[in-house]
Amino acid sequence: MEFPAALFPSYFGTGPPLEEGGPAAVAGWGEHGQVLEGGPGRRQVQPTFVPRRGAAGERWEAADAAAVPVLLPSAGCWIPSPVPQDILYRGGLCTKLRAGKSGATLDFARQLGHFFVDHPEDAFGSLGRLLHKNFYLGNAKLKRPARNSTIRMTALLEDINRLEARRGCPRQHLTSRLRWFSHLCRDWLFEVPLGLLADCLHEELMQQWSNLLFDDSFTGGALAWLPPEDGGTPVGRLVHPGGQAMNHLCFQDVVLEELPRARGSPAQFELSGRIRQVAAACVDGQDFVGVRSDYHCGVWRVPGRTGAAPAPLQVISTDVPASCLTVSPHLPGELSVCTQSGTVYLWSVETGLQQLRHDPQTMFFRDHSPWRWSDFTAHPRVLSCADRTGLQCLDARAPKKCHFDLFKVGEEAGCQQGERVVLPMYLGRAHPSQYLVTTQFSVYVLDERLPLVPVLKWAHMMKAPPLFAHLMPGNPRRSHKVLLGTSRTQELLLLQYRGKRASSRVTAEPGLLCAHVPASLLLGSPAALAFMLTSFGAVSSGGSQSACQLAGTPQKLHSIAECLQHLPTQLPHRHHLLQQRLTAPAAGLTATLQEDGLHKSMVVFQLSEAGDVFCQRLTHKAAQPPAPPLRDEATTAPGSSPLFEAPASSPQGLGTTALRYRRWLRALSRACREPPRHTWPPSLSQRRLFTRRDLEGPAGSSSLQRQMRQRLLQTMQEGGRIQRWEPLALQPPPLPQTLEPDPLSTRLTAAWAGDWEQWWEDRTSFSVAQRQQALRERRRRQKRARGRRSLSASFTSSLTYQSELSELSDSGPLLLSPGRPPILSQEGSPPAGSPAVRSPPMSPAPGEALLSSQSLRCRGIPKERQKTLRDYLSVWAEGPPEPSEPPGSQASQLCIPSSQSQLSSASQPCRKRPRMGF
Amino acid sequence: SSHEHKLNFKKSKEACLNYIQDALLQKQWKRAAEFLTCYVESLEKDYSRERVGPSEMIWRIGTEILWHHSQSSMKEFSCFMEQMKTLGVKRYLKVCLEHVFHLLCNGQIDEAYQNLSLAESWRFGEQTAIQDKEMKLIQAYRGLLDYYSWSKQKNILLEHGEDGFSDLAVEQEMHGYFRKAAVNLKEIIKIPGVWDIFVKCYVDLLEFYGDHNEARQVLNEYAYNSKFPANPNAHVYLYQFLKRQGESKNSLISALKILHDIVPSHELMIDFNTMLQKSKKRKKRRLGLEVIFAALDYAGWKENAKAWSCLVRQVKQIVSSEKHLDWIKQEWNPRKEWWPAFHFSRYLAKRNWQENKSLSYEKALVAGILLGKDCKYFKYVSRQGCKAQLKRFRMLKKFVNRHDPVHLRISG
Repeated sequence: MEFPAALFPSYFGTGPPLEEGGPAAVAGWGEHGQVLEGGPGRRQVQPTFVPRRGAAGERWEAADAAAVPVLLPSAGCWIPSPVPQDILYRGGLCTKLRAGKSGATLDFARQLGHFFVDHPEDAFGSLGRLLHKNFYLGNAKLKRPARNSTIRMTALLEDINRLEARRGCPRQHLTSRLRWFSHLCRDWLFEVPLGLLADCLHEELMQQWSNLLFDDSFTGGALAWLPPEDGGTPVGRLVHPGGQAMNHLCFQDVVLEELPRARGSPAQFELSGRIRQVAAACVDGQDFVGVRSDYHCGVWRVPGRTGAAPAPLQVISTDVPASCLTVSPHLPGELSVCTQSGTVYLWSVETGLQQLRHDPQTMFFRDHSPWRWSDFTAHPRVLSCADRTGLQCLDARAPKKCHFDLFKVGEEAGCQQGERVVLPMYLGRAHPSQYLVTTQFSVYVLDERLPLVPVLKWAHMMKAPPLFAHLMPGNPRRSHKVLLGTSRTQELLLLQYRGKRASSRVTAEPGLLCAHVPASLLLGSPAALAFMLTSFGAVSSGGSQSACQLAGTPQKLHSIAECLQHLPTQLPHRHHLLQQRLTAPAAGLTATLQEDGLHKSMVVFQLSEAGDVFCQRLTHKAAQPPAPPLRDEATTAPGSSPLFEAPASSPQGLGTTALRYRRWLRALSRACREPPRHTWPPSLSQRRLFTRRDLEGPAGSSSLQRQMRQRLLQTMQEGGRIQRWEPLALQPPPLPQTLEPDPLSTRLTAAWAGDWEQWWEDRTSFSVAQRQQALRERRRRQKRARGRRSLSASFTSSLTYQSELSELSDSGPLLLSPGRPPILSQEGSPPAGSPAVRSPPMSPAPGEALLSSQSLRCRGIPKERQKTLRDYLSVWAEGPPEPSEPPGSQASQLCIPSSQSQLSSASQPCRKRPRMGF
Repeated sequence: SSHEHKLNFKKSKEACLNYIQDALLQKQWKRAAEFLTCYVESLEKDYSRERVGPSEMIWRIGTEILWHHSQSSMKEFSCFMEQMKTLGVKRYLKVCLEHVFHLLCNGQIDEAYQNLSLAESWRFGEQTAIQDKEMKLIQAYRGLLDYYSWSKQKNILLEHGEDGFSDLAVEQEMHGYFRKAAVNLKEIIKIPGVWDIFVKCYVDLLEFYGDHNEARQVLNEYAYNSKFPANPNAHVYLYQFLKRQGESKNSLISALKILHDIVPSHELMIDFNTMLQKSKKRKKRRLGLEVIFAALDYAGWKENAKAWSCLVRQVKQIVSSEKHLDWIKQEWNPRKEWWPAFHFSRYLAKRNWQENKSLSYEKALVAGILLGKDCKYFKYVSRQGCKAQLKRFRMLKKFVNRHDPVHLRISG
């Protein structure tokens, strides 16, 4: 590869950056930078000049109004990563604390509190068990002997609640009781020493916060495109992470049609960590795919033939998180790995790992970031290695001795203060000795042969640092294209640059060009004029290498989140979910060029942290006529959604796009259905319900059974139903089996005979009567042994039981009786719109079993309340069944005598309800 | 209140800027222009203390829009630029320079020259370091344009000279251009930087007037001053100058040796190798082998048939004479681990054969000598060659078979 005969002029200085730092919103516009003589060797005519930036580039236009999903969302809901509100302090103190320089205050106390609440076993497990007896949660005052060894916690809890309510009040004082308690307990109550726990939590919080500000673990991106080998078939492979934890590596065949379409199911590999980066390179017709997670790196080989299965080759694990994995474009099975401690390895599948460098310090000046990167260069034995301060090249044969500086954050490259390297990338497919370096402000193209001086520099003006880059190499006739992508803001920027002047093969183009020249000259369009001149200059140069220049203007592509405005209106909570999903930070980027006769198009894929892959197609517009009113200017009226309206140009394109969205939305709502599992009514397994012996039941089959069986068989043949689906027709809950000698057989017989309803009626009334009898019995016994009764503690538990009881006695039979007699029906579907709501299952009848202290303890009812409950139930049994009252009124009516019968009239209403027999 | 007003104003300014940015990035020049007319208002109430003030933003955005807007003209552009020059004193030179660049790219050389002269005479208080640099660049570009005028006059003179007719006025004018160009160009190339185009022009001037010593000094300074970046072109220019001067082989070789040390993959390495191969001295031929091996290490040279034929020539010579096999051994040893996969895989044999038969011939010969006749690359190519009944490939097979034991001695 030839070196350009002349480079653009530039000053060269050494040392730290002079220019003051800071992002400049428009720094990339309106500058040519420098100019260089374009056509050497023509003395007669006037010299022509080409600019470093501002030459005409290719014209690419988006085919659709927004990016379109490629894959359906995977099952299982995505867990969004934390947002600033989760860990920042909110409240009155906030403003006061924010006066400091840091700007953000982490809500340390809240997080620690979360830990105690969410993991009480881990936080207080053993001491909690030890001290269980010494904490009293009741409302009642403690008696003398108990008071010596027991603390009453209720007051303490009240204090805490009061404190919570007064949060943000500037004049809040800690109650002395709380202070006393915390002084007393601070040292010994916690399972993990509080200081240690706090340190760990604080460290984690700081980590989370810095990740929120800038998360570099996804540098490089976790999406790769493996193009088909021959280029003839439009089937390539998309390599992307999937699954809820993003730990499944998927190789998905994708057909590039009007809209890329997934074909077949992907080859999947489950990995033991979240996939951070997927890197791929094609060597000798085979694709090598490197996958990086925090502590593991793996390499897969994908044979060039379509349909061949990817084969895992090797996995390495690291002690510290790996920060980079790149695949050699020169030698099969070679990769480079960097870890956060500053170690760089050359990893060969055949010979293993070779450590090239170990240096925890950064290269050119001190920077705190542990991030390291490395990539390959034009020489297969020379690797570049980078940290935030710059790039060096190392010779793997003598890494200690042979190295040179390729890029330095400093005056050499005209950097700004505070500028840091974000992503270096070897541009070998475009030019073997060129390199791309992005920082948060600018993008640089470097040439190894002229280190330290960028051959191209441009301020990219992106809102976040570009973590992803993808190169689409051009050829002598076409510019190289570089896509830059950011993570949090999902920005995508398309740049074009030329490293080589058009070769003699271009001579076919002037004719084509000239056709447009008069028109553009008439209109005096400077762009068209520049285009004409540069192209002529290009033709005259005849294939020699020219200095690198930026072509065309940078172009913004659609981000995933932008499609939100085009989607049909959703319910607010759906909209929120969708918004959350679509605005998830980007996690990768890849693209491919597709040439099909005259039509050239570019397909850009973008991956989000939620695992969604969206794509967009750009079409190449050949030599530009001085564009009449731009199409896109017309279509960007807010609120309009050309995706779902038929554009005149592509009638069939609309259908597929809109359809794709509908399918994706439907799948998403299915995957992220809201109700968590535990709120569903529990279903009963039949295996638990009937034991084997139960089912064997009466030996021999009666004629009824035979008949039944026959009908069953018939129904099955006809594809009908035995029983119509009805929300109310439920299996009744199991009943205590001791009441009947063989309840199952009687029940089944009754059911088969058709008078099951009657049987149930009988049965429930019987059992209620029986239980009432039993309770009455008990009450009488208790009356006899009457002492002081306590019905203290909270009302709630007793209320529950009361309502359950009343339900059982009043509406029980009504609820449990099936709406209509169970008949074998062959009618079609259940009535449309009948909700699949099942009534809540009945709690078991509160018979003796309920009242036994054993069972009460099992239900988690504290000891001191067990007696209360038992008393209450016994009382209830006496009274006539009455409709349950609304809880509110009951709470005010019910008066509970304290165990000491010292009625403090101020707090508790006097006892009434004589019907209860008190 | 006024504070709130400021805040709101700032917010709406930012929003407007965002709209403009969005439009620019989507090539919606008209929309951007409309927003920019609103943004101009921000000039009146510029409360910002930011590094980049609104006047610079308007300059940059306006320029970009005028470059691309379908209805803009050069005249409008120049008018806009003149206004922008008066907007900010600090940026005056920068805007001038950019204006000149645009004129140059659009072929308006004379206007550009006028603008440069105007900018050169601009004075305002004390100059900052950046302004100083910009002023030097302005002078250098004026020098460059003077050089082009000089070169034009020179060509006229040369043509007329052929007719045996000389024009004194034209000659006078030419010398005038020379003086103006030389003064300015000489200034800038003293400062560390990449000044390829200026150096080339300056040396051309000096050579024309026979000041070879000065030219040599300038080129030496440009190539060897450690304050300058390691620019391969500096060495190339020096080498070309020495060649034009008819310098001895030795000085050419030493110039190229330094280039080889800096950039082993430079395209001049082929010339260097040919030069060294022809040398009588063993040491130089040895260096030649090293140079060509080193060049072929690079991915950019992988399919360079010329380089491979250089290597073949030298390897053939060494193998046939059976002398200095240790040279090959020394070069081959550090490469035998990775060259087979890098150059001589079966996949590459297939592809090279399909795309470039002569390249595959050269590579097969090297592979056969270095790896023996059983190597995949050689086997594939020689079989294909024999199948296609190419005489050359039969000879190749014979040669490799005859020298098959060599590979054992090399790798042993």
